[in-house]
Amino acid sequence: MRRLLILALLLAGMQLILPLGSVGHASEVLLAFGFLILAAYTVGEIATYLHLPKLVGYLVAGIAFGPSALGTVSEASVANLSGVSQLAVALIAFLAGAELRWSDVRERWNVILKMMTAELALTFLVMTTVLVAFRRFVPPLEKLQPLEALIFGMLFAAVAIVHSPAVTMALLSETKARGAVARTTLGVVLIADVVVVLVFSALLAIARRLVPPEAHGAAIPVASVFWEIGGAIMVGALLGAVTALYLRFVRRELLLFAILVAFFGTEITRLLRVETMLALLTAGFVTQNVAREGDILRGAMERSAAPVIVVFFALAGAKIDIGQLAMLFPLALPLAVIRATSIWAGTGLGARWARAGTAETQWVWFGLVSQAGVALALVNIFAEAYPARGIDLRALMLSLIAINEMVGPAMFRRALVASGETSQTTSAKTVTLTTPQRVLPEP
Amino acid sequence: MSATLVLILVVIGAYLAAHVMFEWIARRFLIVSGAEYLLLGILLGPHVTGLIGTTVVSNFAPIMILALGGMGLLVGTGLRIPEMRRLRSVHFRVATLEAVLVLVTVAGVMTLGLLLLFEISAREVVLSATAFGIVATASAPSGVILVARHLRGRGVVMDQLTVTDWVNGAVAIVAFAFLLCLVRVDPTAGGVSLAPIEWMVINVGIGLFGGILFHLFLGADKDFDRLTVALIGAIILTTGAAAYLQLSPLLPTFLVGVILVNTSPVQKQIRELLARVERPFYYVLLIFAGAAWRPGSGGWIVPIILFLAIQTAAAIGGARLASRVNGMTSSLGPNWGIAMLGHGELALAIGFNYLLLEAAPLADLVFSATIASVFLTHFTAARFVRSVAQDAASSVMPPVAGNR
Repeated sequence: MRRLLILALLLAGMQLILPLGSVGHASEVLLAFGFLILAAYTVGEIATYLHLPKLVGYLVAGIAFGPSALGTVSEASVANLSGVSQLAVALIAFLAGAELRWSDVRERWNVILKMMTAELALTFLVMTTVLVAFRRFVPPLEKLQPLEALIFGMLFAAVAIVHSPAVTMALLSETKARGAVARTTLGVVLIADVVVVLVFSALLAIARRLVPPEAHGAAIPVASVFWEIGGAIMVGALLGAVTALYLRFVRRELLLFAILVAFFGTEITRLLRVETMLALLTAGFVTQNVAREGDILRGAMERSAAPVIVVFFALAGAKIDIGQLAMLFPLALPLAVIRATSIWAGTGLGARWARAGTAETQWVWFGLVSQAGVALALVNIFAEAYPARGIDLRALMLSLIAINEMVGPAMFRRALVASGETSQTTSAKTVTLTTPQRVLPEP
Repeated sequence: MSATLVLILVVIGAYLAAHVMFEWIARRFLIVSGAEYLLLGILLGPHVTGLIGTTVVSNFAPIMILALGGMGLLVGTGLRIPEMRRLRSVHFRVATLEAVLVLVTVAGVMTLGLLLLFEISAREVVLSATAFGIVATASAPSGVILVARHLRGRGVVMDQLTVTDWVNGAVAIVAFAFLLCLVRVDPTAGGVSLAPIEWMVINVGIGLFGGILFHLFLGADKDFDRLTVALIGAIILTTGAAAYLQLSPLLPTFLVGVILVNTSPVQKQIRELLARVERPFYYVLLIFAGAAWRPGSGGWIVPIILFLAIQTAAAIGGARLASRVNGMTSSLGPNWGIAMLGHGELALAIGFNYLLLEAAPLADLVFSATIASVFLTHFTAARFVRSVAQDAASSVMPPVAGNR
């Protein structure tokens, strides 16, 4: 009841204030930001009453208050808040890297690698085959030449095999999960993220040769793909080393330092044209495994990440175009089902190949269904390369991502609960300071 | 190199410098640090090196406004009613009279000065002169805090300085909010047209709404993450709402601060959290304020000197008159107003907020005068306070103790 009252007050306040000011004023973005933090967090809490992850609540809040529904947060504000999303991605990537301990990676390397390889390969193959074979039922592909359809189908499949590190991290935080399923899922998601970026970039380079893009310079040369990946690892390692030095010799004002690391990482990777998420992930990994004080910084980063993560998912929800989703739902839903089935089958094959435990075999695939930021970024790259021919396919991709974005978190939460890896008893602060397994604060 | 990257590196460098050098200097020599970041902002800004360009400054406008909101909150959280109730009411009477005298004197003299120096309308002169008066009223709390910590004790003079600092902050923030409501009615300000008093009611309403919302949101929960989200959400929302209506974000966040620090069951946690975010707000404000400064013409020198002279005279004279009217001269000594000469973060926030308003007359001049005052007095603010506290301790403390 209290939460509904908060929501009502927030909405009433916004309705009173918005007509009094001049729309488009620079401060509108602050108003939208503050509203989204409180409103999305409240809806997230309501979601927990319905036994849904808080993330789903944040996404629903974004959809409900976003431009395509109530319009409390305008399209311009959503666009202007992209900096917050970038900061959230950087913080999430750093935290994800910090979660990976070298000893842990070595121990699980075999299982992670084999499950990931089987899952990615099978899903990519199935999605490409389905799209090409049934292209006459897929409007964006039906009018294309066979070669074009194959290339675009492969690019679509490359987007479809992306997972969501952000959702994985946020859910591990929310449920305080630890154990084989949680750690293997995280490992697969993080390493697959690197592999998918490589695959997508290579495919786009091939596509550029076979199906010349409409936008000049939009496609990525092969050399720059290697720089994007290799450079990211170098930049990330350097950033991690500097961070470790700071922790060793200064170790003060960590809250601000954590935000600065994320900002600096975002900006330097943008300037050097290297993959931001991979660089920050490497930085987190190096910091955690080099500095003895890595856990302290992670704690500070977790605390500063809480509000930006709420807004990150709310913004992801606000970007979902409900009208478009409704229109493409009959086509996107079967594709989502095929994708999920392929992930299930691929993960099962990989688990058998690696002789993984029962829990991992049964539940890891649930955590691989979610899609969010990385997938959206790849869709944008595709749309930049093929602004005219790719417009319908882009809409279909976005619809597929929207479905996975909504369904995936609930599935992963169920897997973590069912595998008995969640813990709801320890207080947030104590866990942050004492247990290295904790990932993010409970938002 | 990108300006954003330069900015990040500067903040990191400044931060390290602050911890390695300035904090030690502040403790050792009683020098309040902060103005050096302002200087750094000016040096990096578009009018000196140009490393932070005009576009970057305008792109970061929401962050600057947020820093202003954070400053209001920090001032508000200083007003703890249980602490204030332990002090004698005469301190509040002296402080209020001193604040009003400084405000009126500086505004009055500056009105005359600006009328003689500039060919602008009477309305513009009065508005900008009032802005000068408000800046003069906002004394620097850091000096009082530093000395209070240094002396590890209380006395009549330290109590008076503490109360005066609170009252100066509150008077300056309320007066400034009303000034912006007057500026806001300018037809060029955009949005709907309301009377200044209506804008003032809305401004206060935003603060009260933010405070109530914070309470509802937090409930009895003491979870640290929930507190972080609630506090950050409340600051951003109230700041954003006020700035969106082109009102002062200082007053609503000040009210949120007063409400939460006096009514919340988690005051300790709030103070801990604020201690963590205080510095970021302060550094961002100082660096951006410096970068946003625009140099003026040679004709500005006279009004700036006039402002510096009159604010010094008003602070000392106002304090002396206020203590005499309330029969406190023997307790406080004749020159306790010297302790209020220091200008710091709040004065700068007010000057900066005034600068950000498109419709504000003589905004560059007011801001330049604020910067000049901060440079002249901020480093020595703690020394002013200590000299007054020590003079009082050596000469007038025994009779004071008897009086109490």
